Amino acid sequence: MASVLLNDAEKTFILHGVEVDLRCDGRRRGDYRPMELETDVVSTASGSARLRLANTDILVGVKTEIDVPYPENPEEGKLEFFVDCSANATPAFEGRGGEDLANEISSRLSRAYQSLPLAPLCIVPKQACWKLYVDILILECGGNFYDAISLAVKAALFNTRVPQVTGSFLDGGSVDLEVSDDPFQCWRLDITKAPVLVTLSKIGDNCVVDPTAEEETCSVASIVVAVLDSGSLTAVIKIGEGSVHEQTLIETIKTAQKIGVELNSSLMTALNQEESLGPKRQRFGFLK
Amino acid sequence: MPSDSKRITGPETTIPYHYYLSDFSRKPDFKDPKVGERKNGRLPNEHRPVFLKTGVNSQAKGSAYLEYENTKVICSVFDPREIPNKNEFSPMGELYCEFKFAPFSCIKRRGHIRDAEEKELSFSLRRALEPAVCRHEFPNFQVDIYVYILDSDGSDLAAAITCASLALADASVPMYDLVTAVSVGICRHLQFVDPTNEEEQLCKKTASAESIDPQAVITLTYMSTLEQVSEFTISGTIGVCHLEDKIPALIKHCNAIYPLLQQCLIKNVKKSLGKKKYS
Repeated sequence: MASVLLNDAEKTFILHGVEVDLRCDGRRRGDYRPMELETDVVSTASGSARLRLANTDILVGVKTEIDVPYPENPEEGKLEFFVDCSANATPAFEGRGGEDLANEISSRLSRAYQSLPLAPLCIVPKQACWKLYVDILILECGGNFYDAISLAVKAALFNTRVPQVTGSFLDGGSVDLEVSDDPFQCWRLDITKAPVLVTLSKIGDNCVVDPTAEEETCSVASIVVAVLDSGSLTAVIKIGEGSVHEQTLIETIKTAQKIGVELNSSLMTALNQEESLGPKRQRFGFLK
Repeated sequence: MPSDSKRITGPETTIPYHYYLSDFSRKPDFKDPKVGERKNGRLPNEHRPVFLKTGVNSQAKGSAYLEYENTKVICSVFDPREIPNKNEFSPMGELYCEFKFAPFSCIKRRGHIRDAEEKELSFSLRRALEPAVCRHEFPNFQVDIYVYILDSDGSDLAAAITCASLALADASVPMYDLVTAVSVGICRHLQFVDPTNEEEQLCKKTASAESIDPQAVITLTYMSTLEQVSEFTISGTIGVCHLEDKIPALIKHCNAIYPLLQQCLIKNVKKSLGKKKYS
């Protein structure tokens, strides 16, 4: 992660704050920072979302393209994640600097998203399927990448419109597809099986939700838990160099699960609310 | 993705013939296996026999070989060297982990260049080992750890972590504790400790989208003396209630493997002391 330089006194200050359940920005241990979410911000993408979580800024664009299914899963579509750590965020990401972090995030995300059923993305078994490219752009780092990215990705997938295939012809082994030319004739993905990630950072003896970059520097180990609407877990990831005790691990996962369910439902409420404003709603984009 | 142009690769796209076998696409039959019965006659919570050997590579500082029946792993650890392409001073030493499947180790042929899965496993390996190594002992240096899966038959990550920790100890890299890892596969009411490839597939194949049955492979890495979990990964879908009793069970298995590593290292030391006496 992009690290912030802190001296020992500052670290102790944060540590003591967490101990008495009052963090530097006035939050309690279980509170999130305010978020801003807007979908459909990129006109050339099939679905997009931009999420700003205090100082963390994430832009996600989803592109749909046609591909051939994997031979081991001939009746499923494909979903791929790419993370780009832009050097806009911190100079440390310049050149190939952000590559490791980008690879780590994208591989963890695809593991967490294994629960999303890909069968609806199949067009002709063994021959053609939709491939969703989820491109994630980190525009500003303010800590807590995983949560912000997962929320933005889920919102972008919610927003994604896959064109309707009106006909397919098998012509001597190759497929010809006819895609509807009406831009409004499209279908949406079912994202009830898409997880959100909840990061809990261990600072001292306590865990905090939604750590800022400063708090991340104070923590040796964080647990990221991928939670579905139903409360099931699809992935648990440990990040950071430290280790945790067995009991802490169980407690953390339980807390994260509770938060994840709440986060899921508030995200869906927000998305539905935005949707209900209709296509003529005021768009803010980046000029806010 | 840059490709290695100097290496002669196989044909671009080939498909293993196994995918065309009639029983490949067959959905696993859940009624088939009874509780307490596994194909190879093991109990649900029985680990495969463990074979460990250190000092298998004479060129490396330390090396280890591990075998869980058909899962065969070799690991080499090399001397600390300066971190390449880094200008600023890093107060902690770094671990460079490379997790690689041999091209012939799986059903599907693996390429020579690390793919996404191998990269992810490398991250997990590094996360598992980092807390156990006294990294402050070699600031600004990195220790290279290369894990090669010669034959893959399930529990690859767990085998790799255990093997790498043994190799690190063999290389006399200062460590707080040895780490051991164990996987468990869960599929509905069934559980498989140390799953084989077939059992892992059963646990990974996503059942119908509506089902809330747990289906997952869990890998836990544990430092037995420090009583700390250093890495924990889940892939699949599982409820919290199912997780709660799996964690202590996995720790118990990790603790059972731990003395085997110790014995192996002690035997090694005794052997080298014995050699010295006669030379």
